[in-house]
Amino acid sequence: MKGSTRVQDWWSVEIEGLPQFEMAMKRVYAWFENEIIDRPPIRFQAHNAFLEAAKEDISGLSKEEKKAWWFDAETQVELFAKSIEGRRFHGETFPVYWPNLGPDVFAAFYGAELEFGEVTSWSIPLVPDWGEVANLRLNMDREYFKKLEELTQCALERCEGKFLVGYTDLHPGLDCVAAWRDPQQLCLDMIDSPERVEQMVALAIADFETIYDHFDAMLKAKNQLSVSWMGIPSFGRMHIPSCDFSTLISKDFFEKFALPILQQEVKSMTHNVFHVDGRGVARHLDAILSVPEVHAVQWVQGVGDDYPIMQWTPFIKDLQNRRIPVVVDLAKEDLNEFIEVMDPRGLFLWIATSSEEEEIEILKRISKWSGSR
Amino acid sequence: MEEKLRAVKKAVIEGDMAAARDGVQLALDTGVEAEVILQQGLIPAMAEVGRLFEAGEYYVPEMLVAARAMQSGLALLKPFLVRSNAKPAGKVVIGTVKGDLHDIGKNLVAMMLEGAGFQIKDLGSNVSPERFIEALQEDQVDILGLSALLTTTMTMMRSTITAIEEAGLRDRVKIIVGGAPVTRTYAEEIGADGYAPDASRAVSLAKQLIGQGHI
Repeated sequence: MKGSTRVQDWWSVEIEGLPQFEMAMKRVYAWFENEIIDRPPIRFQAHNAFLEAAKEDISGLSKEEKKAWWFDAETQVELFAKSIEGRRFHGETFPVYWPNLGPDVFAAFYGAELEFGEVTSWSIPLVPDWGEVANLRLNMDREYFKKLEELTQCALERCEGKFLVGYTDLHPGLDCVAAWRDPQQLCLDMIDSPERVEQMVALAIADFETIYDHFDAMLKAKNQLSVSWMGIPSFGRMHIPSCDFSTLISKDFFEKFALPILQQEVKSMTHNVFHVDGRGVARHLDAILSVPEVHAVQWVQGVGDDYPIMQWTPFIKDLQNRRIPVVVDLAKEDLNEFIEVMDPRGLFLWIATSSEEEEIEILKRISKWSGSR
Repeated sequence: MEEKLRAVKKAVIEGDMAAARDGVQLALDTGVEAEVILQQGLIPAMAEVGRLFEAGEYYVPEMLVAARAMQSGLALLKPFLVRSNAKPAGKVVIGTVKGDLHDIGKNLVAMMLEGAGFQIKDLGSNVSPERFIEALQEDQVDILGLSALLTTTMTMMRSTITAIEEAGLRDRVKIIVGGAPVTRTYAEEIGADGYAPDASRAVSLAKQLIGQGHI
């Protein structure tokens, strides 16, 4: 695996409904090495399906009530635990509770306020004037940081034998700056005040290791693996670098503002899977893959007309040719056609199913998938 | 006059707000009609910006600074356009649907439409169906633009259109939709009149719908 020199400690984790934990981890690790043991790894669920299954209808709540719902640690962990009760997990489907206050929570550690919706949250821009930059300071006593600790702790107390506990969705770098400044304003800043953007970007990565290490230590103390919303665990340090904001900008701006961040945030990690959120971010793939510590990518092709996977097979084949392992999300209806044209090497499939029988049947199908094309 | 208009056009395309404003002021001071500056300076400039975006040469930052330059010039023209009773290309109400706070795409569409000579009323984000209906009742609106960025909020597009139908206003307005999860198929399914994948093509769509003369 490019960029990796570490040998990992392995330990076994017993999880109800996941008797194949060790073999599943072996397949995951083989995938990181662009190898296949017996078949490609496969995760059976749609993106964020556990969260969707656990969702209560909070549409009628006020803004304050919605925040209180998100902040109710007992309820959040209990909802997740209920959603997986009695389930059996096939393939490389790991039940993972990861504490979630929305993707802008990293910005909130520095003072941004979050507004909560039904499935996500938004930050209220914190830096309307450049004078506010001087106030940007990590505060681990802020309610959002403390709440993530509480959510993590609550889950760790309930997880034994049932699920893994992960860490939250961390977005340092340009995504954080966009949350601080407002995405539209940041676009203007890149042309009007590039040096200010560089200043904020430096601030947005300065404490990343401190924050990551803090939650990693909580998990490691309880023998947890390193895992987050992507559900791909590591015995070391797993990170999901991303830059969703980059869908708005040119390659030149990505190299100027985003690439230096990426080069920093991956350095201390064992496994980095870059979240490529759509064709706009895919434009920057050459820059992203120029970083040797980006071990793999998750390809998120989008919804609607962009979702059918067959249009993306040339793109996926290009990643395979570059020996970059890739997470591929496809509809079960497309699996046969996909298998027909694709080599399985380096692929980690995500497929949503309606039943356990479907999962077992799909496992049989991909176990026969072989050969290069 | 041609040289002055070329200077205005260049300033807008390059996103030079000061030069755009100065160029428009110079053109006005030397007797060029406001309507001419708009039609032969600002609007073609934004059309070129749209072309550069579709060609993959301009991205959102470049479009925004160009739109800002256009708006700074347009601000100088507005009093003259009002006095001369100049008609906009059409009247547009636009907003991001209820439950969705994303606005950058919607803002770009609004700016590009304004740059094409449309009069814009921007209702912002998290806009309820009731608020959209109110806006349609307040004025004669040609086009209603609905934006959503989440699969969970795009369903509000359908609810909004249904509410407009129930309010008896559907025949009075053309409805266009857009946003990352939105597709042409979905637009047809919910009874919208059009779908645009980006701000530049939203302008072409709006012009086409106005040109159909069904409003």
